Amino acid sequence: MPAKLRHRAPVIEVPPALPADEAASIAYEADQGLTSHHFTPGEHPIVRIEHLNKSFDDTLVLKDVNLNVWPGEVVVVLGPSGSGKSTMLRCINLLETPSAGHILIEDDEITNKSAAEVNKLRRDVGMVFQQFNLFPHLTAKENVMIGQTKVLKKDKAEAEAEALKQLAAVGLADRADFKPAQLSGGQQQRVAIARAVAMHPNVLLFDEPTSALDPELVRGVLDVMRDLAENSGMTMIVVTHEMGFARDVADRVVFMEDGVVVEQGLPEKVFDHPENPRTAEFLGSIN
Amino acid sequence: MQHRRGALLVALALALTGVFATTLAAPRPAQALTTEKATARPNEDGGDGVIGGMDTRLTWEGTVEPGEEVTSVTLTLPEGSTFDGSTTRITALEGLKRMDVTGEAVPAGSSITVNFDQAIPEGSLLRLEITNMQFPSEGGECVVSGSYVSAGAEHELADSKPIETIANTPLQSIVNWLDDQPWVEAWNSNQFLGMFLKPQLLVTSFSSLAPGWILCLGIVVAAYPFAIALGLLFAMLKISKWRILRAIAVVYINVLRGTPLFLQIYIMFFGLPMLNINIDNNLLGIIVMAINSSAYLAEIFRAGIQSIPQGQYEAASSLGMNYVQTMFTIILPQTVRRVIPTVTSDFITAFKDTSLLSSVGVMELMMFSKNLTTVTGNITPYVAAGIFYLIVTLPLIKVVGIVEENIARSERGSGPRPKRRADVADSAAAQMKEATDAC
Repeated sequence: MPAKLRHRAPVIEVPPALPADEAASIAYEADQGLTSHHFTPGEHPIVRIEHLNKSFDDTLVLKDVNLNVWPGEVVVVLGPSGSGKSTMLRCINLLETPSAGHILIEDDEITNKSAAEVNKLRRDVGMVFQQFNLFPHLTAKENVMIGQTKVLKKDKAEAEAEALKQLAAVGLADRADFKPAQLSGGQQQRVAIARAVAMHPNVLLFDEPTSALDPELVRGVLDVMRDLAENSGMTMIVVTHEMGFARDVADRVVFMEDGVVVEQGLPEKVFDHPENPRTAEFLGSIN
Repeated sequence: MQHRRGALLVALALALTGVFATTLAAPRPAQALTTEKATARPNEDGGDGVIGGMDTRLTWEGTVEPGEEVTSVTLTLPEGSTFDGSTTRITALEGLKRMDVTGEAVPAGSSITVNFDQAIPEGSLLRLEITNMQFPSEGGECVVSGSYVSAGAEHELADSKPIETIANTPLQSIVNWLDDQPWVEAWNSNQFLGMFLKPQLLVTSFSSLAPGWILCLGIVVAAYPFAIALGLLFAMLKISKWRILRAIAVVYINVLRGTPLFLQIYIMFFGLPMLNINIDNNLLGIIVMAINSSAYLAEIFRAGIQSIPQGQYEAASSLGMNYVQTMFTIILPQTVRRVIPTVTSDFITAFKDTSLLSSVGVMELMMFSKNLTTVTGNITPYVAAGIFYLIVTLPLIKVVGIVEENIARSERGSGPRPKRRADVADSAAAQMKEATDAC
């Protein structure tokens, strides 16, 4: 017997990505009634996920996930732990490499891109992490500035003005010169949101942004996200366990389990009249 | 031919001697008393120097020329010398006959006049031993001049060869003071204390060892920036994604960490000259220390870089930063803070390890101590060296402790808070309330 057995992920065969116009018209038909967001017949989805598969060693955590997100739409992804919702989110900005399938942002295939192209892509896809991941050696303001100066190559004054504007928008104008360690978890997460928004991404991803927070701090963060959803017109994909937020803010709720999109639709429909028994069971156990 | 040349040379030599003799002797009258020598007894503790401003004994000798008699001699030393409280012993040797001469010594500032009760007869060797006199405390070359009285007339004495004297520094005066203290004597009478902690030697060691200490510091301070740069380079190689670079780093780091510094010093100091590469000893010392430390620093930096949570890389990536930007603006600045205590510890080790350079003749602290111990036969210089090492290492050890505590505190999340703590809490609460009211 060989000393080392290398696990080979099974090769998953998926069809090639659809042509943009065809995909758009199919999505237009398919998403009718699933979202309260208004989209028009000629419009193309900003994010298109086709047959997305992801395996860690031989565990398949995403199984043929298909999802369209329209520009300006707020999609909330729900599901029990280990259902693959975070992995799906992390695939969208390539923090995880998909095993098979296609992810297209503005009809641009992002899988199999070079490192430089990936960096370019990522500046257009913002991410807010469960653990905030602020840079601890920088002040709140510097955290918001650094992406602008290093990646967008803005000059310092411009970046600083933008940073102060975004910090004010999340209610932290007076914390601009504080280090992350001097801020509460909720404040840190709001700085992290300001940091992501300051890059003016096309799509903003939230990976359980309130899960690491004390209950009394959750509300401040959700308010900031609600404000973004309602007033910025930014496309948001939010993985969360906050049912209230999902019901109030989401244009569409996606329910995932075992790496599969089990059900998706308008929040009131999914929450009040779930079609799938597993969705009903999950929502029942949460509520 | 040969003969003529020889004659010429002789003539030349004679002529030269004549000129020489006339120039030297012409201005002077015939001497009745010729200065033979002037010496002083060493008064340096554990040495053979003559220290100014400290009691010593001056011995002056002169020969009374045939047909002359001397009744009085005045010896003059440079300004600052003193004969106050001195006692003078007069001896006259005539052939093998020794006679004690009585007389009166009259000190006057830096001169002393000795009047003999009986004239010193011709052909005698006159010896004056003046105890408890002092040379000027600023030291220098002291020429004994003066005059003598022969047959009622006063004549100048020829200058003696100069006596080398050492300046009496504040340090020396401390040593002098210590010499007089009864407790020092009692202390030194204990064999252990006298051997390892002799106060006088401790004091002189500090001044003698200082250059070695400075060199130690100089070597390690000069070596360290290079060690840091090299260490960082090899740390980056070791976490590189290319196998060949990782292999190079692993070999470099493991060989240097896996062999004694002593061996590395020997190879560099004895090996390089055989390859006809000759580098100044101190410079080579810096190079060896830098290379040796860089291997340890590489491991410290690698561990520091890898201790930064993955989330930091992900956050930087999600802003669109590339690897270099992430490393230099996000990861390394955080690494620096984390590795400061370990790097300082390594600096302390490197500083102490410069002592190994004494084995190849670098004039650093241990080398100076070794020399001083050889001269004095006392261990105290080594103890003084130990104190010199501690002067550097103890504060650094303290720094390590403080930095470690700060880092531990900030990682517990209760790091340094803003000054207006109450205000912050208040406004945070107010904001929460606003937010609550808004929805």
